[in-house]
Amino acid sequence: MTRKELLFKCLRHEETERNAWVTMAGVHAGFIKGYTADEVYQDADKLVESLLEVDRLYRPDGLILLFDLQLEAEILGCTIKWEHNSPPCVRSHPLEENMVIPTKKITREDGRMPLVIETARRIKAAVGDEVALYGLFCGPYTLASHLRGTNFFRDMRKHPEYVHELMAYCAELGTQMADIYIEEGVDVIVPVDPVVSQVSPKHFNEFIAAPYKILFDHIRAANRFSSFFVCGNATHLIEPMCLTGPDSVAIDENVDIKVAHEICDRHNVAIGGNIPLTTALLLGNQLDNMKAGIDLIDRMNTKRNFIVQPGCDMPYATPVENVIALSQAVLNTDKTRELVANYEMTDLDVDVDLPDYEHLEKPLLEAFLLDPDACAACTYMWASACDMKKHFGDRIDVVEYRYNNIPDISRTRKMAVAQLPSLYLNGKMIYSSIIPNPEDLIKQIEEVL
Amino acid sequence: MSAIDELRKAVIAGEDDAAQEWAQKCVAEGVNPMEAVNVMGDALRELGIQFQNMEVFLPEVLLATDAFKAGLKVFEPELAKAVQGDAKKEKVKVVIATVKGDVHAVGKDMVATMWTVAGFDVKNLGADVDSEAIIKAAEDFGAKIIGLSALMSTTIPHQKEVIDFLEAKGLRDKYKVLIGGGSTTPQWAEQIGADGWSKDAVEAVEVANRVLGL
Repeated sequence: MTRKELLFKCLRHEETERNAWVTMAGVHAGFIKGYTADEVYQDADKLVESLLEVDRLYRPDGLILLFDLQLEAEILGCTIKWEHNSPPCVRSHPLEENMVIPTKKITREDGRMPLVIETARRIKAAVGDEVALYGLFCGPYTLASHLRGTNFFRDMRKHPEYVHELMAYCAELGTQMADIYIEEGVDVIVPVDPVVSQVSPKHFNEFIAAPYKILFDHIRAANRFSSFFVCGNATHLIEPMCLTGPDSVAIDENVDIKVAHEICDRHNVAIGGNIPLTTALLLGNQLDNMKAGIDLIDRMNTKRNFIVQPGCDMPYATPVENVIALSQAVLNTDKTRELVANYEMTDLDVDVDLPDYEHLEKPLLEAFLLDPDACAACTYMWASACDMKKHFGDRIDVVEYRYNNIPDISRTRKMAVAQLPSLYLNGKMIYSSIIPNPEDLIKQIEEVL
Repeated sequence: MSAIDELRKAVIAGEDDAAQEWAQKCVAEGVNPMEAVNVMGDALRELGIQFQNMEVFLPEVLLATDAFKAGLKVFEPELAKAVQGDAKKEKVKVVIATVKGDVHAVGKDMVATMWTVAGFDVKNLGADVDSEAIIKAAEDFGAKIIGLSALMSTTIPHQKEVIDFLEAKGLRDKYKVLIGGGSTTPQWAEQIGADGWSKDAVEAVEVANRVLGL
């Protein structure tokens, strides 16, 4: 079964062999390849390259193409401010002082739509058989607030008819975005509506529910899956969201996912979430993230209607090794439990002799790995080391250490290796989590030959 | 119902026109402006507690804040006279901003309003403010508290950046740094070494008083 098929099973509400796993790598995708956020969201080559690396390193079941809620706003005339290490943000609201309903439609030629389409096509061709593609667009409520600014909240009391009309317009744009994704063969169509969490169930039902019902019915009629992404404390809206008819919803760490899952289950809707973005992913270490994944999986204790995913779009500079650790928790849950135990056990160290790095006969390339049989990033790291052995032959030594046996664990600790996988040359760390490209690695080894 | 009760009712209901009208009546009837503003502040706090309990939501609080501001404007000339007469009592200065890359200002503005209501001298620096600019403004203003808001998961690292910059400049001990915003958590606050976190504008007042030992 492919990863994509596993995710589809989950979205069909069937029990899966393991929990499904979706990364939320928006601008973080660029970080992996060393591109800034503004570079990766404006250059299809860089975006495709980055997304393929997300797929290669994290092995998700669902791959998000572009996590940019400003794309449509930009097309509709909002001023966009670009950032190097976060998604762009909307700086002006064209309807702020001008209460009209726009007529502009979104076409394939508008704004950065050519980039979206090209990315979808190339990713589909490269890995689309293996991994489900997620096509995101700005949900109608958030888009309406982009256009109208804060006044949109006031309008709900003062000008409800206008809110209905603007929501209908934004939902229609959502349908146009969905259709473009559907035509490009994208598998899961996702309105992302973070601002929704700020309204009451009454307002949700009055203004938001109906446009969403139309949207999700439309996606279902096209034989595609859907998901409804929100951010913030949407605890009070889980049931109303389910009633709009998505195949899944996604929530962040502000919501108790266990409680939310019970509600979703009653409506036969899958739920995705909610690994803490900052405390675990951004600032935690590998152990924290393995534990966060394992703890969540164990607490949920179900393989039906549940997708492990970060709570929202991951911060740009989320350490790659942390996401690798999280992916391990999902893809190899039992082995990761052991690894967590190994990390936590302080008394299993045995004496290991480290090489005399100052007096080596020839360069020594050491790969410190989690478990290359299970961890994709470790497999690639080890493959890089093996390629060097092929290239240099007997002129260098290459060794691997796996974090699944006591001597190797002890060695990893004694070397104070902070992240796995890592590559060390003559006792010095040269690559951590990022897989080297062969030319660079050859050059580094040649320098110490 | 008295004019001041009607004023309170208008703030709770989020009716800015009514708040302005009843504030004018209060002035005409010689109601103590400080008392009237306190009543409006209490109304806003009451609504804030309902917001904490998820009994009311952002649109309702935003409208109530508008109503508060409409009433406050009417009382401002009277208040200015009162402040002149009480010039010796110095207010604690605070700055507040939404961090770089994040243009969301609603929550931050509510905190600014609640801090004003609570008696702080608030300088609202706006949204999408560079970390260095926040620190400079705090220095220039003579603030004791720096409030940092961030809504997006991708921008909250800038809250840490401000704290890191303060430490690098040897200024960390000079300020209490309070953070908040949709994607933030108390764990995050602790992890980055913030002095306090609040989930909403009402709690922000409690936290500010607490960190200052007031």
